[in-house]
Parts: sequence; structure tokens; C-alpha cells
Amino acid sequence: MSFSGCQHLQAFKAAHGTQSYRIIHKYFIAALSTEARLRKARSCVCHTCKTTTVRLHSCLHCVYFGCYGANHIQEHAASKNHTLAVDLVFGAVYCFACGDYIYDGELEGIAGENGKSFEDSIGLDGCWVPTDVELQLLHQNPKRRKISDNSTIGLRGLINLGNTCFMNCIVQALTHTPLLRDYFLSDKHNCQMINESERCLVCEMCRLFQEFYSGVRTPHIPYRLLHLVWTHARHLAGYEQQDAHEFLIAALDLLHRHCKGNNGLSSSNPHHCNCIIDQIFTGGLQSDVTCKECNNVSTTIDPFWDISLDLGPPPGGDARNSLYGNGDEPSSLMECLRRFTRPEHLGSSAKIKCGKCHSYQESTKQLTMKKLPVVACFHLKRFEHSTGYHKKISTFIPFPEELDMTPFMSSSRSHNNGYQTQVVQEAASSLSSQNKYSLFAVVNHLGTIESGHYTNYIRLHKNQWYKCDDHMITKASLDSVLRSEGYLLFYHKQILEYE
Amino acid sequence: MADLQERRLKDAQMRASISQKLVETGERERLKELLRTRLIECGWRDQLKAYCKDVVKQKGLEHITVDDLVAEITPRGRAMVPDNVKKELLHRIRTFLAQQSNM
Repeated sequence: MSFSGCQHLQAFKAAHGTQSYRIIHKYFIAALSTEARLRKARSCVCHTCKTTTVRLHSCLHCVYFGCYGANHIQEHAASKNHTLAVDLVFGAVYCFACGDYIYDGELEGIAGENGKSFEDSIGLDGCWVPTDVELQLLHQNPKRRKISDNSTIGLRGLINLGNTCFMNCIVQALTHTPLLRDYFLSDKHNCQMINESERCLVCEMCRLFQEFYSGVRTPHIPYRLLHLVWTHARHLAGYEQQDAHEFLIAALDLLHRHCKGNNGLSSSNPHHCNCIIDQIFTGGLQSDVTCKECNNVSTTIDPFWDISLDLGPPPGGDARNSLYGNGDEPSSLMECLRRFTRPEHLGSSAKIKCGKCHSYQESTKQLTMKKLPVVACFHLKRFEHSTGYHKKISTFIPFPEELDMTPFMSSSRSHNNGYQTQVVQEAASSLSSQNKYSLFAVVNHLGTIESGHYTNYIRLHKNQWYKCDDHMITKASLDSVLRSEGYLLFYHKQILEYE
Repeated sequence: MADLQERRLKDAQMRASISQKLVETGERERLKELLRTRLIECGWRDQLKAYCKDVVKQKGLEHITVDDLVAEITPRGRAMVPDNVKKELLHRIRTFLAQQSNM
């Protein structure tokens, strides 16, 4: 096999050139324009049996499409003595004289170019094709790193630079977020800060991922990251103890802002941002406010990056608890989520003007998940800052390894207006595996509200857990993860729908 | 019998118009790209590639055609596609069709 085709193709090219291949490829394989796609959709049928089924080929000598499965292209080739045909799915050329597909460098080049612009035209990234520089690099560095099931590549301790464990534990969680890792290791970031990429937090994350997955085992010193955080998020600067949750939100916000520019959308519309942070972490929270008077429901949907869950007894602790039952402190993540999504009576002191009956009325409000994020971050509100006192709630809140979010979706919203029809229920149950999540990182806080230390657990491969305590990484059991206190819980969606 | 035939005809027409819609909108290519990614992610591609190499080695590079190879690996390739991948693709196609008001 060679890349110079066969003698039959060479003879054909000498006589007719590559124009007919070019046209066939441009219009029927990688249809560039909408018009070409319409034409492709309408005319790609076997001229003999009229089916659109598998392996349609086009004759390279005349206008004829025939299917390979039912021998129509073969019959055409034999009767007309047209030896060459193009596969209309992959663009490969078949030579009937040789009895096999043949490979020709020149035609492959045309196909490659067309394919690339086609992918661009429908917004696909396509496969990675190495550039000349990258090919050279690959040749110069022939050693390949293979990740086996028990490999520890990706594990790296982080030196504590003075009460910076709040940062270290979040960095560990982010560097072990599968989709984020894929994004950074495949070098997708296109820095928008011209000439000041050292100020770009996304570029720093790129370097950080390189460090983490380099196979080096000595702890990494994240001083550049810390410096960037200090310059961009002044409220976190200094050597004081900080809240890991606050850092997570600040980091996501900075990454999101530094990604901007390559998403092609206006900064005034953050809800529809498609930067990598929003693709992974953003979900949609639906809020339904029901007027007690006329039962009119007004719905709004807001984006969120994390869900903060209350742990203590509900404030006020009076009438509304008796209305909706179980006003006690939640004793598991599921209960926290149930409490988060149950209808809440907005008391007489919080009357809202109803859009339908135009009067100020008492109402109930219910939050549900309209759109689930790929990574769900749950923040257990362990630090209570009520009037007069601050305290840490150290109650053990069990959380599962696998979480099904279906009951908390807007589509499963239990509703006394009766719009939850059977259809909705059925749709929800048939799609329930769509809403399953797996735990992949847990941040824990040890100590009191005044002073303490953050550590975290991260998942490597499918089922190996490690405990990260600044520069120390130790193997951990799933059991010890699930028995830990839990402050921030990171879950990854099991089934990803693509955008 | 007539009913069955009529239904078959309708099914075929439906299939044709769905396939047309998928091509027109470029959705077919997007689905293909998704499928490609999923099959790489789950190791399907590597496994099948290794099998192809075995087959080629066994028969000898000079004596095998694409057709031979396709015939040899198709049953195994089909059987190896994980159910999750099929499900996801089916769901994706359903969602796409639901968005098409003029079908």
C-alpha cells in the first residue's frame, strides 16, 4: 500500500485532473454551505434502487451514484468500464480494477482541506491534526507516557505558602475535574490578554495542569497562582485564613472573565456565555413564585455555579414548618436538597405584587433545577453567622457516592396546580439515568470557625481515592471519604449531553 | 398484510425524511463527531484497532482488502458499542427531532 494511488488513478488524473474529485468532495461529502447541504440531502440516493442506505459511492467518471451494499456501483463500473468511484461518507477512492480502496496523497490533501473548513462551518472542533512544529516535537520526544490503571500521574502535593490550604484544596478539586483536565491538557485555551498572558489566570491554570500531570512527584509551589489571585481578587490577599468556598467562587469568576473574548459573545450577557467554566459549572435554577390569591405562577431562571445548602434549623421556625412538614435539621445531603427545593411560604412581611391580580399578596416560592450543570458543587453552610454569634455546625451530613438529581428537577416539580401530568412523569423517569452524578472531590474543614485547616479527597481513575493535605498525598478508602464531615462536595454528571 | 406493507412504506418514508433533515442541518455530522468522541473515550476504537492489526497481520498486508477487513470486524465492532453510547445518541436524535417543528 502506498500513498501514490494506483496506475489506474494516475492515468485518470493525468487525463482529467482532480477537478471532479474536488467537486464531489465539496458538494457531497463535506458540504460547506447550507445550499450544498440541502442538495446533498436531496440527491444522495442510489440511482438504481433509490435508497439512501449505507456506503453510497459516486462514479468519478460520470454522474452516477450507486450503493455498494447492493452491488449497484459495481454493476455500473463493469458495464460502463468506469473504474474509479468515491465513497460518499469518507471520501475514499475505490478502484474496481485493483479491487480495493486506494490512497492518493493529492486527493487526501483535498479531502483534508475541505473537511477542515466543513468542520469550521458547522462549529465542530474536529480531530486534532498536528502541525509541522508539533510533528517535529513528537519526533524529538519519542517517549510516550502511558497511563495505566494504577498510575499515580496527576497526583501532586501543594506547598502551603502561609494559610493557603483554602487555595490548595480547591486547586486539587479543579485539577481533578475530568472535563477541565481534558480542556487544559488538550491545549484549548486561546489567550486573549495579548502581551500580558502572565496576568491571565487561565494560562496559569494551563501551566498548573502541566505541572500536575508531568509525572513529577515532588510538591508543587503555587506561588504564581497565589500572586495572580492576590492581584485579581484583592479581598483574598494576605496571609490570613480564608474560606475555601469564597476562593472557589472567586477562582471560577476570574477564570470565566479571563476566558472571555474567545467565546464571541458580549460581556453584557453572561447567562449565555460558553466559556469552559460556564460549560462545566453553570446550571439553571428555576424560581416559581405562586400568588396565594390567584395561584398565578411567575417563573424566573437564574444561572448558578454552586448550591449553598442550609444545615441548621430553619430560621423563624414557626408556621411555615408546620405547613410543609419536617422543619427539623436536615440529616443527609438528600434532605438538604429536598429542603432547598421545597415550596417556601414567604410570610406576610414579604408580600409581592402579583403580575396577574395586581395586588400585593402573600406567596410561596419554590426553587428547582431547570438545567443541571456538568459539575455540581454543593456547599454545606457549616459556618453560621447569625446576629450576635458565629459558630461552626459540625453535624455529620451523609452524602452518597452516586447522586440522582431527578427529584430536584423542575420537570419533577410537585405542584398543587396540577400541571404535573403523567407525560411529564414518564419523561422524567425514562431520562433518570441522565441526571445521575458521581462524587469526585470532597473538601473538608477541620477546626473551629476562628481557625482551622482544609484538606480534601480526590478521585483518581474510576475508584481510587486520595487524601490531599497540602504537600502530603495519601491513599484513602471510599469509606473514609463518605464518613468525612464534608464542606464542599463535587459531583460529576455521568452522562454528558453534548451542546 | 396490506396494513403491514403500508406501515413499512411509511416507516421507510419517515426514515428518509429524518435522514434528509439530519444532513440538511449538519446535525448528522455533529452526531458523527459525538459518536467518534464517545467511542474513543470508552476504548472501543483502540480495541477495534488492535483487532484490525491482528487480522491484517494474520492475512498479510498484501492479501487483504478493505472489504475483507470490514466483513471480518463488523460483527465484533457492532457488539462492542456500549449501551450507554447508543442511549445517548438515541436521546440526542430524539431531542433534535422534537425541535424540528416542520417534520
